[in-house]
Amino acid sequence: MIRLENVTKVYEGGTVAANNVSLDIQKGEFVFLVGESGSGKSTLIRLMLRDEPVTRGTIWVAGKDITTLPKWKIPYLRRSVGTVFQDYKLLPNKTVTENVAFALEVLGRPASAIKPQVEQVLDLVGLADKGERYPRQLSGGEQQRVSVARSFVNRPPIVLCDEPTGNLDPKTSVGIMKLLDRINRTGTTIVMATHDHAIVDAMKRRVVALEDGSVTRDEQAAGYERRPEE
Amino acid sequence: MSRFFFLVREALTNLKRNLLVVAGAVLAVFISLSLAFGALVVNEVLRVNTLAWQDGVHVIAFLNDENSAGVPPGAHQTLIDEVETWDEVETVAYFDKNDAWIEYQRIFEGQDDLLDIDPTILPASIRIELIEIEFHNSVQFRLEQQTPVVREVNTAAEEIEQLQNLSSVLNVLGLGMAVVLGMSAVVLIANTIRLAIYARRDEVAVMKLVGASNWFIRVPFLLEGMIEGVLGAALAVFTVWLGSSRLAEATQSFELFRLDVTNQFFFRWGLLFLLFGALAGVIGSLLGLSRYLRDAEGVGADIPAGV
Repeated sequence: MIRLENVTKVYEGGTVAANNVSLDIQKGEFVFLVGESGSGKSTLIRLMLRDEPVTRGTIWVAGKDITTLPKWKIPYLRRSVGTVFQDYKLLPNKTVTENVAFALEVLGRPASAIKPQVEQVLDLVGLADKGERYPRQLSGGEQQRVSVARSFVNRPPIVLCDEPTGNLDPKTSVGIMKLLDRINRTGTTIVMATHDHAIVDAMKRRVVALEDGSVTRDEQAAGYERRPEE
Repeated sequence: MSRFFFLVREALTNLKRNLLVVAGAVLAVFISLSLAFGALVVNEVLRVNTLAWQDGVHVIAFLNDENSAGVPPGAHQTLIDEVETWDEVETVAYFDKNDAWIEYQRIFEGQDDLLDIDPTILPASIRIELIEIEFHNSVQFRLEQQTPVVREVNTAAEEIEQLQNLSSVLNVLGLGMAVVLGMSAVVLIANTIRLAIYARRDEVAVMKLVGASNWFIRVPFLLEGMIEGVLGAALAVFTVWLGSSRLAEATQSFELFRLDVTNQFFFRWGLLFLLFGALAGVIGSLLGLSRYLRDAEGVGADIPAGV
């Protein structure tokens, strides 16, 4: 589903954020990218989203080489990749329903199709009764649920998460992780950058550790049983 | 269709959210286009008045009496027949001595001392309307060659030419003003849209995040610019129309100069100005958007810290 071949990213000023990284992520996998701040986790997420160009190497997402993707095709890539960020990235002037529906409006779906899809996904994230509220009227955990709902509403094959629990307390973080786990069980590939070891340990999934832009460890957690297509 | 309505709704919501900035842009377009439209109306007033002068007689040739001063009988008719064949001439009207006396009485009505004359001293004349006012010199010259029948040639063409020159100068000035002010309207709208997109940069980043194409992001801003342009232009047209018609009403008794402009003129040019306003809005928006969307291809400007 996602393949990185000898990917290197050097920022202006010479900072090496990814150093010859090679990864192969299968359909339906749940992969944690872990490491200290500055280890290159977020950069890998941004490279997979074509938010940054690679310096060297090739990245394949859903069978397409995105490193040579022309700029005008980037939106099409992003429509097949859901994203969840630490700061939620919600539109403050839109209600919960409108925020989630926005991802479908962009795709040009008719209003008649948008409504049931949004209702369904809000039900999935447990916010069916808060559709008319604005982000400022929600707690951090609820805002992140909206963000997860938006990332999944058009059923993308991949969801990329960059520190989705970074702003949340441990109890709320567990709720978000359960949600991501449920999404993963539908066959959606999830790549999540985090430095929260407690979550990584609890989830028992594949862990890719990064240090100074290089992969130092890539292993399946003991006791993990892959359950795609459930 | 649903996407179109969504984009229109987005544009209207954005307009509502930035009322002050929008009011600034509308005001800027209004001022620019009011001045340009005002110049156009002044030019039209001049044109109409020049036309009114042109409708009259351009050249008058006073004639010596037949059977005197060597003018043979039938010479007046011969002259009329000849002048009618000239290419520069539209119409020729003959004023005999009796017509001349009637006209004289009308002009000097109530001035008894001036009316106490021998009517037979008034000469007959031919009144010539030219195809183009520019021909007055050659026609005057040709008439002056018609001796002895032609006694004197008078023409109002010089005065009309002066008015026409003034009108041409105003045309150029009006056009120049329209271009400069129109350009300033475009720049002002561009700045407004740039401010609007800057204020909503987070929103644009989210739009990119969920896969919105540049055009999907652009359209609400383009609609915003277009609405601002049309609103400003509509206000300008309405204000100039109101001012012009009020002024025309107030100066209705003023005989020398007509200040009224037809509604047809306002409708035709008003429509063009609305179109111009819309176009200025779209161009301004495109200018305002181009650099931002080119520079910010990605969503990462405010992606959380951490490499």
